[in-house]
Order: sequence, then structure tokens, then C-alpha cells
Amino acid sequence: MARFSLSALGADRPGIVAGVSGALVDLGCNLEDSTMTILRGHFAILLVVATPPQVDREALERALTPIADAFDLTLAVRPLSDAAVRAEEADRAQAPGPGSQAQASVEAREAWTIAVHGADRPGIVHAVTTALAQARGNVVDVATHVVGEPDSAVYVMTLRVTLPAGKAAEAAARHVGEAASELGVHCTTHRDEADLL
Amino acid sequence: MAVRPVLVLPHRVLSAVAAPVGRVDDEARALAEDLLDTMRASPACVGLAAPQIGLSLRAFVVDVTGHRKARSCHGPFVLFDPAITASEDPEVAREGCMSVPDLTGDVTRARRLTVVGTGIDGERLTLEVDAFEARAVQHEFDHLDGLLFLDRVAGSHALFERKVYR
Repeated sequence: MARFSLSALGADRPGIVAGVSGALVDLGCNLEDSTMTILRGHFAILLVVATPPQVDREALERALTPIADAFDLTLAVRPLSDAAVRAEEADRAQAPGPGSQAQASVEAREAWTIAVHGADRPGIVHAVTTALAQARGNVVDVATHVVGEPDSAVYVMTLRVTLPAGKAAEAAARHVGEAASELGVHCTTHRDEADLL
Repeated sequence: MAVRPVLVLPHRVLSAVAAPVGRVDDEARALAEDLLDTMRASPACVGLAAPQIGLSLRAFVVDVTGHRKARSCHGPFVLFDPAITASEDPEVAREGCMSVPDLTGDVTRARRLTVVGTGIDGERLTLEVDAFEARAVQHEFDHLDGLLFLDRVAGSHALFERKVYR
């Protein structure tokens, strides 16, 4: 089974998801993962698609072209290597469950949420994520919003990240906070709580 | 007394740690009246903290009277120099803020807490609050430490735009 990434972007209107997913299901493809959202009035689709043996990249593009034309979507199909998917599956298999011990060979990491907000200006994402990378943090998920009136717009960014566990995580969080304050934006960090009830 | 303009992000006062009020004098009582008047001027507003009207002081008002999510309800009250002495039973729920335009967010707050502070006549108050009133108290209390609900969101996809999509 092969996997492909599929991205599509176009002015938002009803029927885009139904159209794209319809073309895929007709080919016997499986949607393994997806993010779909509106970005500044544009509907953005990012998919990981698993395909049956006879469906190659050309077949995917051929099937999707009528939908892309109908909705004026910018479409991109790329083959994916299985390595990243296998690595994620291995991570899941090794994830410490209740009562088990984390593998000593795997660096312990923990999930944190970072919230950043301040007057909108270029460079906020870059400054925060550069500090994060320096501290060996990894971005798992990011959402951004621009709110308020245009002349006093506020940039709000929330990130889910993983950091090296323990004291290193606290140092990394401090490092990110310092980078944010140099930029004059407010930044708070907290460990994700994982209370199992 | 007066309805004051409510500050919105990115005003610096909203990110500052506020100073204690101390003795409740005429000035402090005037602040409380302004907070109550400003809160009442917005129908959906159930609480307001002094930093939101530009005064970096440890004071807030809360009034959850008639709110469908409220259980405990102490009516309209002001607290100067409050402290949360006990909290328990966290839950996640969505909240917004007069000072944060266009966004709401999912935030974990204690469902029950004990808050102490000084009342409008300088009296020592101990309030047991729960449900929505407890959420309002914690939200206003955060303002005194320069924190907004944005700083407590439960994850990267826990913020929501208020605008209605087509």
C-alpha cells in the first residue's frame, strides 16, 4: 500500500470536502489523516491518503482534476515515504501505558502548551520557534489568530510542543518566554495536564 | 459613578501584576462603583477587574445573577486584595473576555473554591463559590496577575473565533 500527501486550497465554498473525498473514495483510497480549515477565506485541505496497488500519482491527479477545476483549487499530490509513518507507529507502540516503564533508549519528552499574544508584527512566529528549536523543542501543532481592529491588531498563537523532559523542559520554556519578551509579546507556557480519570 | 472604557489587547496594563489596594478608602470605593457600572453597561458581562479599566490594582467585581450556568450566587460583589485559599474539582469550559476581542477559549478551572478578600465596606469576606461563579472569580483573579484566558488555554486548538462563518 502506497501513501500520498494531498493538499488543496481555494476560496471557501460549500462542497469542497464532499467533492475531494468523493473522488478518493471512488478510487478505493483511505483517508488516514487530515487537517481541513478556513485560512483567511480560503479552505485548506491537507490529507494523508493510502491508495490501493493500482492507483499511482497520475491516477490520483487524474481523478482529482475535475474537482480542482470545479472549485478552482490549487492541488498538489506527492508520494510519501513510509519511514515517518512507521516511526510514528513505533512511537505509539512504545508509549508508556499505565504501569509500564518508558524505554531507556528513547529520550523522555513531555508535552507543553505555549500561548503567545501581543501587538501584531512580523517575526513573532520565527522568534518563538527559533528559541524553541534552540532548546530542542519540537512543534507538534500550531494555531494562530489575528483579532481586534486593523489599526490595533493582536496576534494570538497557541502551540503544542514537546520538550526534553524534566528540568530541561522548564529551562526550554523559560528560554522561549525570554525570546517572546524581547519582542514585546506576552508568552505563557505550561505542561499539558494529563489527568486520567 | 461612571462607565469606563474597557481596555483590550495588547494594552500593557492587561499583562501587568497589579498592586494591592490596602485600606478601603473613598478612592477604592469609587473604583468599585466604576467597575460595577462598567460591568452592568454590557449585558453579557459577569465580572470585571480593575486592570481592565486601566487601573493596575487588585480589585474585581463579579455578578452571575440570573446566569443559567450559575449555582452559587452572591449577587453583585466587589473583592479587594483577594486570595484563593482552596480550590478543587477541575473542569474544562469555554469562556470569553471583554478585553480579548473575537476569541473564546476552553480553559480548565476549579468547580469549587474558597476566596477571601476585603469587601466594599472594608469588611473581611470569605466566599464559597462554585460552578459558573467560581469560574468568574478565577477569571477575574487572573487579571490581577496579568493573565488572560489565552494564557490558560487547554491546547493549541482550544481557541475559537467568535465570528460566524458563512
